[in-house]
Amino acid sequence: MKAYTGGGDRGTTSLLSGERVAKSHSRIEACGDVDELNCTLGALIASLPTKDRGLRGELENVQADLFRLGARLATNPDSAALSLLPTFGPENTRRLEATIDRFEAELPPLQGFILPGGHPTAAWAHLARTVCRRAERRVVQCAHESDRTGPGEPLADAIAYLNRLSSLMFTVARVSNQIFGVAERTWQA
Amino acid sequence: MAGVTEAQKLFARVLARQALSDDTYEVEIERPPEFSFVPGQGVRIFWSDLVREYTVTSSPADDRLALVVQIVEKGRFSSHLASLEVGSIVSFTGPHGYFTFQSGSRPAVFVATGTGIAPFVSMARAGITGFTLLQGARHSEGLHYRSVFEPAAARYVACLSEDRSGSPDQPWIYEGRVTDFLEKELVPGVYDFYLCGRRAMVRDVMSIADDRFSGSRVFFEIFF
Repeated sequence: MKAYTGGGDRGTTSLLSGERVAKSHSRIEACGDVDELNCTLGALIASLPTKDRGLRGELENVQADLFRLGARLATNPDSAALSLLPTFGPENTRRLEATIDRFEAELPPLQGFILPGGHPTAAWAHLARTVCRRAERRVVQCAHESDRTGPGEPLADAIAYLNRLSSLMFTVARVSNQIFGVAERTWQA
Repeated sequence: MAGVTEAQKLFARVLARQALSDDTYEVEIERPPEFSFVPGQGVRIFWSDLVREYTVTSSPADDRLALVVQIVEKGRFSSHLASLEVGSIVSFTGPHGYFTFQSGSRPAVFVATGTGIAPFVSMARAGITGFTLLQGARHSEGLHYRSVFEPAAARYVACLSEDRSGSPDQPWIYEGRVTDFLEKELVPGVYDFYLCGRRAMVRDVMSIADDRFSGSRVFFEIFF
């Protein structure tokens, strides 16, 4: 299968719901940020050790979630195509919460602000956290624009998911430093 | 394909195989009772270490699944699938894909080249009517399923890019590519375009839609 169509060579593209939009459209921006987040997770996963406490499986589940989320973002809320998309709802966020709770139970209490970094795997997790926050802001922007121009859309689940995912990334950074035996450095004001 | 377990696969017997032309066949398999789909969706078929996607051409109401298979040069998979004996077992997953009909107020224009006609066959067999269909082929031998579309389409146009043998008693034949028809014949307006076929066709029609039919929606599926 070829990786290109050429249909977007003039700066426009099609949403899954058929509308032709500029590639600078907020919905495309949001899809792009979710894609960047997924790629950052890929780099994080690639840097994991063999004994990863189950991190790889959890993060690959998140990658699959992000594909589902991207498809939803690429579809206008009044489109019948929404009914064909894989489900994405509160249960996805609840699974993230369970994962955070499981990993946090193995971590020492926070002593202050942690400097982003440490082991390279932890650094990837911090980077993923910030990309996740940007994706969250874009999705919020999409939701606001959709409320203004049309019937609005159920993006609340997506926003909650990204909010929780950034917390998971923070936790993964701490777990990664613990796995590799790298001490956390706290911010000295 | 990675991530698919044996438990997720469906299995069905081949029920019939019919030649549509020298290199194109319609293969019918059983429809497992638990399998349902929307016209335009397809299945992912597994054989050996290979997997290929095929769009279903039958109606969701049928008790069998029909697939159109074109044997491509050096295509191990298509040759295998098109030569399966009745009674052979096929393994697949599905339904897959989002290239489905979205009802609305805009006139629908279906544009297909080659086996890209497959999703529109399923839509017509499922009772979708009132659309314009541009079916592109080099010669009239490549115009499969015309009888399916005649009662369903508001307008059926066969765009033949190399065959110039159209006659006055065949007003449905247009001598030229589907892109020529869109640029010269289709009345400017706002449409829902559904494109299925080769990449170059999809790319060119998208450009035409942006320039000549601004505000239209474009749905597409690329068949390689």
